[in-house]
Amino acid sequence: MNHNNLTSIIQFLLLLLLQAFVFDNINFLGFINPNFYILFIIIYRLNSNPTLLIILGFTLGLFLDLLTQGSGAHTISTLTLAYLRPFIIRFSFGVNYDIPMGMIKGSPASQRLLYLILMVVIHHLVLYSVVYFSFDNALVILKNTIITSFFTFIMVYLTMGILINKND
Amino acid sequence: MRQLINALIKYKNSFIYLGLLILSLLFLNRRSFYHQSVFSNASLAVSSSFNLLRNNFSNYFKLSENNEKLAAENEKLKALELAQFIDKREKSNSIDQFDYEVFSARIIKNSYSLARNYLIIDKGYKDSIKVEMGVIASDGVIGIVNQVTANFSSVLSILHRDLKINAGFKKNGAYGSLSWDGTHPKRMKLNDISTLNPVSIGDTITTKGMSDYFPFGIPLGIVINFEKPELEGYYNIDVELFSNLTQKEYVYVVKNRNINQLKQLENESQ
Repeated sequence: MNHNNLTSIIQFLLLLLLQAFVFDNINFLGFINPNFYILFIIIYRLNSNPTLLIILGFTLGLFLDLLTQGSGAHTISTLTLAYLRPFIIRFSFGVNYDIPMGMIKGSPASQRLLYLILMVVIHHLVLYSVVYFSFDNALVILKNTIITSFFTFIMVYLTMGILINKND
Repeated sequence: MRQLINALIKYKNSFIYLGLLILSLLFLNRRSFYHQSVFSNASLAVSSSFNLLRNNFSNYFKLSENNEKLAAENEKLKALELAQFIDKREKSNSIDQFDYEVFSARIIKNSYSLARNYLIIDKGYKDSIKVEMGVIASDGVIGIVNQVTANFSSVLSILHRDLKINAGFKKNGAYGSLSWDGTHPKRMKLNDISTLNPVSIGDTITTKGMSDYFPFGIPLGIVINFEKPELEGYYNIDVELFSNLTQKEYVYVVKNRNINQLKQLENESQ
C-alpha cells in the first residue's frame, strides 16, 4: 500500500513537470502539444478509491494550469476525466473491472485499446471545448481533438508498452 | 434523514465532481478574459429576460401615465415640424443627411444607486444595435452601449464613475469632460474648463460633438455652482442635469453613421 502511494506521488510529480516543461513546448506542426500527463489518470490503480482520484485529477489539472499560465481548461478536463473514469472502465472492461491491475494483464487487447482511446479522446474533447468555448469553433475543436488525441494516444500507448514489458 | 445521508454517500463522487467543477469554472472566469465575457453575456441574456417579464407587468399599470408623456412629447415635435414648414428650405432628405441614425428602445433595468451603474434596454444586435453606440433620452444623455446580445443590450450609464463625456458651454463653446462623482443622480462635475473662460451660475451645458458617440448640442444641464482654485488653471464646476435618470423609461439609441471614417482618421493620425 505504501509502496503504491509512493509510486503514485512520484508519477504525479514527474508527469506534471514533464508536461509543463517539455510536452507543452513541443508545438509540433505549430499547434500539437500532446497531453501526456493524463497517463497518470489512465494507469492509476483500478481498484482504488474513485473519490481520491477526482481530487487528485483536480489538483493535477490545477497545478498544470498554474505552471503553464493556462486559463483553467486543464483543470476542468482532467477533473471530468477523473470523474468519468469508473464509467469508462465499466464500459470498456465489463463488470470485472475491479480486479487489481486487471487492465494491464489478462484483459483482451481490444478492451485495453477501447479504454485508452475513450480516455484520451474524452479528455481532449473537453479540453478544447473549454479552450474555444463557442459553437462557432466546433470544427476547430474537432480538428484539434482528433489530431492531438492521435499523438497523445501514440505516446501513452508506447509508454504503457514499455512499462508492462519492464514489469514482466 | 437516514435515507438522505445514504443518498449523499451514494452520490458523493458526483457531488464532489460538481463542487470542484464550479470551483474550476470560477477559476476560469477569473483568469481568462474571453471566458469572462462569454459568461457575462450569458448572464445578461438570462437576467434581461426575467427583467423584461417583470417590466411588462409594471408597464401595463403605467399605461395612462405614459400616454400623457408621449402626447406631450408629440406636441413638442409637432410644433417643431410646423416651424420647419414655415421655414421654407428644402428639408425632404434631411433624415438621410443627418449624421446619426436613431432607434427607440425601452429600459427594462435601471440602476442609479451604485458607484458604477448600468441599464439594460430591450434592443439587441437583431435590431442593429452595436457596442459603443450612444444612448440619449428626450432631455439628455443616458449612456453608451457596452454589451449586446441578440435581443438586449447593456448600457453604461452616465452615472458611472469611470465614464467621461465630452461636454461644454452652449454660450461660448468652451469644453471639458463631464463625469459623475457617485453621490447624487442629478449632480455631475464638469472638469478641464480653463479659467480663461467666463463662467456664471445658470449657464447651459450641452454635448460637444467630439466624443464620436453623441450628436453635437444636446442640452445636458445647468451650472449650479463653481469654484476657481487659486493654483490650478481649471474650474471646479457642479452641474445639475435636466434629465432625471431615476425615472427614465424610453430612450433612443443613436448610431453615428460616420464612426468608421472617424476611427480610421484617428488611427491614421496616431
